[in-house]
Amino acid sequence: MESKMTETPKRGKLSKHDVGMLGIRSIFNQSAMNYERMQADGWTLAMIPALKKIYKDDEKGLANALKSNLQFINTNNYAAPLLMGLEASLEENGEKRSTIDGLRIALFGPLAGIGDAITWFTILPIVAGITASFAKQGSVLGPLIFFLVYVAMFFARIPIAQLGYTAGTKAISKIRENSAIVSHAASVLGCTVIGGLIATYVQITVKTKIPVTAGHTIALQTQFFDRIFPNILPLGYTFLLYWLLKKKNVSPVILILGTFILAILFSWMGVL
Amino acid sequence: MQVTLMQGILIGIFAIIAGIDFWWEGFYIFRPMIVCTITGLILGNLTLGIVAAGLTELAFAGLTPVGGTQPPNPIMAGIMTVVLAYTTGKSPATAIGLALPFSILMQYIILFYYSAFSVLTKKLDTYAAKGETKKFTQLALLPTWIVGLSYGIIAFLCVYGAQAPMKDLVNSMPVWLSHGFEIAGSILPAVGFGLLLKSMLKAKYVPYLLIGFTAACFIKFGNLMPVAVIGVALALIEYGRSKKDADNEKKMKIAMENSNNDGDDEDGI
Repeated sequence: MESKMTETPKRGKLSKHDVGMLGIRSIFNQSAMNYERMQADGWTLAMIPALKKIYKDDEKGLANALKSNLQFINTNNYAAPLLMGLEASLEENGEKRSTIDGLRIALFGPLAGIGDAITWFTILPIVAGITASFAKQGSVLGPLIFFLVYVAMFFARIPIAQLGYTAGTKAISKIRENSAIVSHAASVLGCTVIGGLIATYVQITVKTKIPVTAGHTIALQTQFFDRIFPNILPLGYTFLLYWLLKKKNVSPVILILGTFILAILFSWMGVL
Repeated sequence: MQVTLMQGILIGIFAIIAGIDFWWEGFYIFRPMIVCTITGLILGNLTLGIVAAGLTELAFAGLTPVGGTQPPNPIMAGIMTVVLAYTTGKSPATAIGLALPFSILMQYIILFYYSAFSVLTKKLDTYAAKGETKKFTQLALLPTWIVGLSYGIIAFLCVYGAQAPMKDLVNSMPVWLSHGFEIAGSILPAVGFGLLLKSMLKAKYVPYLLIGFTAACFIKFGNLMPVAVIGVALALIEYGRSKKDADNEKKMKIAMENSNNDGDDEDGI
């Protein structure tokens, strides 16, 4: 028994194609999303073929690996293939179970942060902002470009998985080191674009005219707000919402409903 | 205009595909940009679909499923915005507001599923322990099929079943009310941008927000490309600077350690 424990069965090796397929299968990451352990079930589902090839006839090793992969995980969906590739290379090298699990648990959080900063907070606002300007004019280029960008994003999962696989353990300190710098740069880009989006797509036009003397009125919008700074009302309202979300923890659904109530009220009063 | 049974079924089928795509976050056809366009295509009014796509996409720009949270549902918002604009003849901006209840309904159904699917984890554990990968695969994919089917049924019922009462409701609205919805539709992106800023904006990023805002106010160009390019330039500057800082810090650390060692030596002497 003792000798059997120390003898580790030989591990199988993944080909470049296998790792690429792992990247494709990372789409299953959220297939069984639930509050108990978030993406863990889908994560494991994505890993199955790779783990099977690595553990070959070692049924006990495979069962152990599957069970360990079922621990809580919640990361960005484009960071998942990176982490899957990394884990596959560790499993292949026969690293200790505790090392593999420890690394996965340590990395999914930081990777979620950088992944969200890049995909949801930078790429989506830019792609949405640019394609919407086409779409609003009724040009089919809008949805077409949008679709092509995200098809390319999907297939990027293949090189991302391969990057994680080849980078291996060496990458971990690099990821940690660079993730702060990359998310900083992504935030700079994201905030610049959001500033532009606020000016372009939030529209508040005041209709009210104030009579000054008989026969002379001042239009609040064109002769007052626009003279201070164009789009000053959209910027102000966005900052108000930001403040409510951040400092007062108001739920977005409340703010959406509040926006509707205010809009209808001002419409009824004839202000907007 | 009326939605025919066939169109209702087609929208239902599309909702299944988009629903699974949203559940997996695969190809982003769940975003209003695509959902509205396809719905418009099915209804035979592609231009309406595309115009609604631009408006709805921006209204939902910040409403993202980041970190396992669930935003008001982009698929139902996209489908119902186009359907309501089509059936009632209102502008897409007005229809976004009218579509909102359907979007929030779907959001709560998904939230319910997040809790409900927790019951599967026990069974998946036993399959994993026994190494039964086939059974594991079938069960781990079950939530996906359930979610997809729910989208199909709900979208069909909302599109086809609810169109007559919705039409009556919208047509009985006074002008100030439907105008209010239209205004709300054009202010709504502010909520999305506020949410984006909540996750991103720190004091040090305010200058970039102001640069982007000012640039967009005064650069008259058909789309946001110039602002994006300015953003890329600023990001590259910052990337280079941060990298240099990080390298310098590392060098400093090494230098400090060396000097500490020297100090020890001197003490020794």
